[in-house]
Amino acid sequence: MRHKITTAQTIGPFPHEAWKWATELSAKVDHNAPHIVIHGRIFDGDGVAINDGWIETWMPDSAALESAHEIPGYRRIPSDQDGGFRLQISMAQPAASGKPVAYVTVFARGLTKHQFSAVFLEDDHALADSQLLAQVPAARRNTLIAHRQADGSYCWDIHLQGDNETVFFDYT
Amino acid sequence: MQFDVIEPGVLPDLIYPPYKSTVKRGPSQAPLRVRDEAAATTNLFASPKLILPHDIDLTVHGESAPLGEKIVVTGQVRDEAGQPVRNSLLEVWQCNAAGRYRHRKDQHDAPLDPNFNGFGKMLTDDEGRYRFVTIKPGPYPWGNHHKAWRPAHIHFSMFGNVYAQRLVTQMYFPGDPLFEYDPIFQSVQDAAARQRLISRFSLEQTVDDKMLGYEFDIVLRGHDATPTGI
Repeated sequence: MRHKITTAQTIGPFPHEAWKWATELSAKVDHNAPHIVIHGRIFDGDGVAINDGWIETWMPDSAALESAHEIPGYRRIPSDQDGGFRLQISMAQPAASGKPVAYVTVFARGLTKHQFSAVFLEDDHALADSQLLAQVPAARRNTLIAHRQADGSYCWDIHLQGDNETVFFDYT
Repeated sequence: MQFDVIEPGVLPDLIYPPYKSTVKRGPSQAPLRVRDEAAATTNLFASPKLILPHDIDLTVHGESAPLGEKIVVTGQVRDEAGQPVRNSLLEVWQCNAAGRYRHRKDQHDAPLDPNFNGFGKMLTDDEGRYRFVTIKPGPYPWGNHHKAWRPAHIHFSMFGNVYAQRLVTQMYFPGDPLFEYDPIFQSVQDAAARQRLISRFSLEQTVDDKMLGYEFDIVLRGHDATPTGI
């Protein structure tokens, strides 16, 4: 017998005080350890920046490198006034895994249920063999790819709606 | 774990025009069903040392007791197979008895309570149970439409035992007259799913002359991939 699930409700506009502890704990990262940085912005269907949204990331491959962290492999980041976020990911060497560098959960006022996404690096040489990307229609895969910038960081925007709507997952 | 398809209407509509900010923020494409082992089998580890004493009693932050009706909220967190979700991080947050959040953007003309912050966190126990003490939150206006008042609620954030079980939801109180007028509650089309968001009064959990008790059981998505029973 299957028990019926508890449904979701929006996070609303007011989680900041309650969520601050994990925001601050997970921001304590070692900037001297090998890492990459992904930055981006969260947009609505009109291209308006969402300045009261959140992302959380789970990075199973980074967790082992973060044994000194309070919550290894985890980040919680509120979007800033421009809808922006900056995510630092511990990585010992460039990815060639075909796996996401982070599983990303998106929350916002007006988002009735949090959304699951994931981000890959464009210079991951194993992307063509990715088991997860292979399940995404080819035309939409680019919404999950962070692009390398001149300064060595990566850029990945999240579009909740619209022509470039980010792929969101329902795991099986 | 594996995650079955959810029946239509159980999850809230992502675009539900009566809740205005969903119109441009709700994804228009259905989520893509995918299999991913890491999402379905791994999760962060939250150490018990992260939980502080006041995290499970929201009434002891201040120098004296907060105003309002002190209550205890408890329940069991299980998965779809009925298995307890053990040692799992759970966060709660809410407004105070007057309907005001401790948040710089909350403009509601109701008083803050210096003795009430309105947030806490805990781990479920070996049976998946949780319990916290708080003040019954008040209703508050939110400006979505004329006379838009939220029914009293407590926000719940749960991490489950694997990443894909993550859930953020809201717990309501029985008999609230605002349910039928609230687009956030009504964004869930399935009436039974809405009812499952409403806690029940419990005389058993009521503590003597100190506080009334409410029970709110939670079922997270997912069940073990291995069939159990015969």
